[in-house]
Order: sequence, then structure tokens, then C-alpha cells
Amino acid sequence: MARLSVQHLLGIQNLTLDDIELIFETADNFKEVINRPIKKVPSLRDITIANVFFENSTRTRLSFELAEKRLSADVVNFSSSSSSVKKGETLLDTVNNILAMKVDMIVMRHSSPGAPHFLANHISANIVNAGDGTHEHPTQALLDAFSIREKYKSFRGLKVAIIGDILHSRVALSNIFALKKLGAEVMVCGPNTLLPKYIGSLGVKVGLDVQKALEWCDVANVLRIQLERQQIKYFPSLREYSLYYGITKAMLDKLNKPITIMHPGPINRGVELSSDAADSEHSIILEQVENGVAIRMAILYLLALKKE
Amino acid sequence: MKIKDIFVHGKQTVNTAMSILLKSARIIDPSSGFHLQRVNVLLNDEGIIEKIDLKEMSADRVIQSADLHVSVGWFDMRADFCDPGYEHKEDLVSGAEAAAAGGFTGVALLPNTCPCIQSKNEISYLQKNNSRQLVQIYPYGAITRDCKGEDLTEMLDMHHAGAVAFTDGKKPVWNTDILVKTLQYLQKFEGLLINKPEDKYLTAFGVMNESYNSTILGMKGMPKLAEEIMIARDLKLLEYAGGKIHFTNISSAESVRLIRRARKQGLNVTCDVAAYNLHFDDSRLLKYDTNYKVDPPLREEKDLRALDRGIREDVIDAITSSHIPQDEECKKLEFDLADYGMLGLQTLFPIIVARCSNDEEGLAKYIEKITHGPRNILGLTVPQIQVGARADLTLFDPSTTWTYSHELHKSKSHNSPLLGKSLKGKVIGVIREKYANINV
Repeated sequence: MARLSVQHLLGIQNLTLDDIELIFETADNFKEVINRPIKKVPSLRDITIANVFFENSTRTRLSFELAEKRLSADVVNFSSSSSSVKKGETLLDTVNNILAMKVDMIVMRHSSPGAPHFLANHISANIVNAGDGTHEHPTQALLDAFSIREKYKSFRGLKVAIIGDILHSRVALSNIFALKKLGAEVMVCGPNTLLPKYIGSLGVKVGLDVQKALEWCDVANVLRIQLERQQIKYFPSLREYSLYYGITKAMLDKLNKPITIMHPGPINRGVELSSDAADSEHSIILEQVENGVAIRMAILYLLALKKE
Repeated sequence: MKIKDIFVHGKQTVNTAMSILLKSARIIDPSSGFHLQRVNVLLNDEGIIEKIDLKEMSADRVIQSADLHVSVGWFDMRADFCDPGYEHKEDLVSGAEAAAAGGFTGVALLPNTCPCIQSKNEISYLQKNNSRQLVQIYPYGAITRDCKGEDLTEMLDMHHAGAVAFTDGKKPVWNTDILVKTLQYLQKFEGLLINKPEDKYLTAFGVMNESYNSTILGMKGMPKLAEEIMIARDLKLLEYAGGKIHFTNISSAESVRLIRRARKQGLNVTCDVAAYNLHFDDSRLLKYDTNYKVDPPLREEKDLRALDRGIREDVIDAITSSHIPQDEECKKLEFDLADYGMLGLQTLFPIIVARCSNDEEGLAKYIEKITHGPRNILGLTVPQIQVGARADLTLFDPSTTWTYSHELHKSKSHNSPLLGKSLKGKVIGVIREKYANINV
């Protein structure tokens, strides 16, 4: 049985192309499993997983929890809307306390870039990064790429535009790394204030005009405006943003070509994506959510294999 | 007193009271007639240089090393001893021990303590041990109350109490009006204003250099522009107000260019660079090691090259340890929550050696930046290596490799990425008048 090259899933940066393909193949199997009448397999029966979330999350936490339960793992959840540091306990102490209760894997979301990397240097449990600040969100990128693969089969020559708040987005960075490794062409597009200055050095095109980006791409991955991560003003108003950077069904219809619309959720309807576009035949947003469970099952399963 | 009692490693306040011979030492001092020559140096039991020549001599204690060098005692113009207020990180005693072990006989201290160094009382506190210790402390006074950049402190009073220059230390003087008024006010006694150039708006929430690496690490960057724009701004203000300004810890190639040009225009401007900015680039952060979280942040290879050239061409006047101790609670954290700073006193020399391997001329130039350079900037007398002079010497061996072990480590804090590493370039010891510290 093939194995991952890594002990932890810290980011797409740390994965090889073989790793990504192994995750996809494993997820194919698990997708079949979760569409059976009995959705559960005993693969992780002796494994205890803690979902440690220092930032709010609905979809990702639920998706991980379902993936864990369908693999028959024992699951505990810890959520704190603010960093534990603010309460006087360090991250390392919090996690070491959880590990003292014999937990095998940690799924962590944290507002600090590199927090899971920091943890990986100090603890022995496997770590899955469920989003670290504005850095990476590897499982999201894997499920996004998996969803694209389902529809297009191959990434060669495929053009993907990532549109919106790139500066504060961990989804954007992980998607760029994953899509580039898989061979797709990538463009980022948004207000210039929300594009990192050196983003072009990652080998992506940079665009400022959404209509042109839509004309260029096969797939548009639309990102949410991360108001909670913006400590200062990057654009004048949501109204102006939605007028000039929001995507509507009318814009998609004007293209006269097939296009796929993706969104990592939650959607701010009427801001980056109008309702008629989000719910249109172009959208694969709910398929992404379904694939999220299969991808996370694959990752947890493959990391548990590394433990043996 | 037995010799073995006298030369106890780290006990830098011990009175030597005996003659010392520095055997076959290469003198590094461009102002000495013996510059680059290998000679024997004899110090008498009063700590005065008695003989410098090639003849055989004897003494109570002989110091030798495979490639012994001797220079004027080193001076660090940017260190934080965290005292008063943060004595759990460092204090005047542990800081002085680290300085002596690192080869320094003089250290100028930042005012960012608690309370800040902002009245003659604090100035006196820092100097209280000077008359009976090897390492001499030179205090900086804050420019503004609590270094907040708002209300001016009593700088004349602090000057008379012994402040050698004025600075808000780790914080920039961001208010243009305060900067102009300070430049004007200090002219009464030709006082020096030291500014850390940083536009706080451009660096807001930044934790590292803005670059390709900050992009892939998902961290908010601090653009070099923030430093450069303040240097450009301050140079215009200097042109207007007169006086003199020193930029501390410049870190970018463009900053070097701006200062080079201002010098040519005849402006009274000097600058220094932190040793870590000369040696490490921002790829060191790829593993989120908080020991590399420093301010100004580690830049890029092209900046390191420009800073090196700036030193060799005398645009940069001094190299500083920028010794900022941080305890484990401030560093063993998520990267963006960790505090800034790296220890530097005990590792400055190995960093210099790494920049000048097999380059004796380069080494002499770099050493000048920790001997004559900082003292000239601050208007302090530069000690001499000549017969009859009071000893103020640093002994070092650029060829010897040593391990920066926890046993040899002197600071109360441990925030150095070099701790535990094998380093080339060893400080053999320091001697100032009757005090000595020999690293055995």
C-alpha cells in the first residue's frame, strides 16, 4: 500500500504530487463508501482524534467530524473563539493537556500562520491543518482540486481563476500550490489592495478585472471577503466591492462558454456572488462540500497508516 | 591572590593586579603604528600597556592562542539589558557578563525599560556600577516620555547626568514635529538623535520582511519601503533643522544608497546595522522559528550584499549586537504572537568572521565598526593601543572554532538560533585597565 511522504498535513507546500494523487485515489474509494446505505467503515477504530478549533468554523469542523465518525474514530471537540493565549494558557499547554488524555491525532484551526508547524516541532501526534490564519487550508485545496478533477479529469491546460480577497485567504494560497503542482494555469484576481505584492512570484497571473478573468478561465473559484481578518480598510465599501468585483449570473451568461463556479463557503450572497450565480447550473459548490468529507476521510486514513 | 582565582571565566569585575603578556598577537587598529603586525604586548599590574615589540618577555600571566589578535575594546551601541523592569529577561549584571564574554568593554543601552530611561535618576541607575566593573555602561535617554513619541523628556538634564545620545530605542520617532524639535533642541550641546527608521503605518501588523517568503508563509510583511521612506523623510527634516542624526539598524540596500547620497551632500548623518541583518536572510523563517523574529526583519540576499558593501565602503559606521533578550514565554509561541528580538552579544564576532573568512583587510574593517565607529558616532574617546596607554583591549582568534554551549552562555534569556552551535571565531578575552575576563 502506498504511503504519504509526510507525518502531518501541514500544508500543500509540504506534499509531493504523488501524495496528492494518492489522496485523490483514496478519496475516490471513500466517496463510494459515503454513498452506500451504510456509510461507515472500521478503518480508524482504535484512533482518537481531537478537533481543536481556535477560530469559528461550521463547515470544516462538521466535515472533519463526519469524516472521523465514518472511519469509526473516537472524536472529541474543543472550540474556543479566541486564542487560548488570551486566557493565559499557551497553545502548547492546551494541546499537551489534550494529548495527555491519549489522543492520537489533532485537527487544528488557528488564527496564526504556522501554528500547526510550531506544534509539529513540539508534539508527537499527527497534525492536520484545518486552516492556519492567512497561510494554508490544505484540505480545502485538496477537495477543490478533487472536485475539478471529477469534472475535467485532467489539469493539463486547465485555467483556474481565484477571485476575491487573496491577501487574507488561506484557501487561495493552498489552491495555488495544489493547482500548480497538478499542472493547471492559475490567475488571481481582485482589488489590488487585496492581492499580496509578491503573489506573481508564485507563478500565477495577476488580474484586476473580474469580467476578463471570467473570460480567461475554465473554473472560477470565488472567495469570500474576510472582513474578520481585515485589521484595516482595504476597500471603501461592500457596496462598491459587490458592484465591481461581485459575480452575477448575467456576467456568466454573457461569456458564451462553459464555466464552473466554485466557492469554499460560506457565501456572502450578493457580495462576491449573486444568488442566481451561486445556484446556477455552473456552480459545483455543494459537490465541493460532499467531496470535503471523502477527502478528509482519505487524509485521516493515510496519516493513521503512517502511525503503524 | 592565585592566578587561577583571578581568571575565572565570566567574573568580569575581578581586579587583575598582575602583569599580563599577550603573546604573538596581531594588532588590529588602523590608528596604531602596529596595525596588522604580530607583536608581544605587555601590560603591567596597573593595567597600563608597558611594552609593544617583538622581543621575548615574561609576565605573571601569558595569554596566547593559535591566531591571537588584539584590538581596542569593542563597543556595542545597541543592546537591551531589560533593567529596570524586565529583570527576568536580563539585568545589568547578566548583560555585562554576556558583553564581556562577547568581547565588549563598552555597551550603550536602549531606553525601552520599565520605567523608560527618561530622567537623570534612571541614567544614574544604569551607570552605578561603572567605577567597579569591566564593562562600561553608556545610557541613552528617551526622546519622548515612555518612548511614546508624544511629549519631550528633559534631555538637557539627562545629558548632564551622562546620557550619551537620545533615542526612543526600539520605537521610531514617527512625529515629524517632534523630530525637528529634538534636532533643534540637542544642538545646544551637539547632542545626537538616534532614530530607528520605520513608518508604522506601512508595517502595521507585519511580522517579517515582505517578500516571496512572506507570501508563501502567509504572513503579513513589513516592506523595506517603510524603513526607506522614514530615512528619506528624516534626511529632509535634518536638512531643515540642522543638528545630527544617526539611523540605527538599517536593513535594506536602498537605505544604504540614501545615506551614501546624503553623506555626499554633506549632511551630518551616520548609521549602523545589526549583525543579524548582515548574516541571516528571510529564508530562515521558513520553519516559523521565532528566534529569527527580529525588528527590523531579516531581509533578502541582495540587501545583505549591499550592507556588506556599505561597511567596506564606510557608508555604515557601526555594527551592533542588537542584543534583545526575550524569555521563553515570549518566544515559545505561535510566530505572530512571539516578541521580537535575538541575543547578539556573544555571537557578534562569529558573524563577523563568517562575513570575512580569509580576508584580513575585511576583518580589520569590520572590527573598526565595533571599536572606532560607534565611539566616534557618540563622541566618546577611542582607546589607544600604545605604550603608556591604559588597557582597553579585546583579544580574539578568528581561526578558532568553539561551541556556543549553555555553559558558556551568559544571558538570562536563550533566544539565539546559534545557541548550541559550533561557531568559527572566538573571543579570547577582554581587558580594561585592571579588570579582565578571559574565556577559558
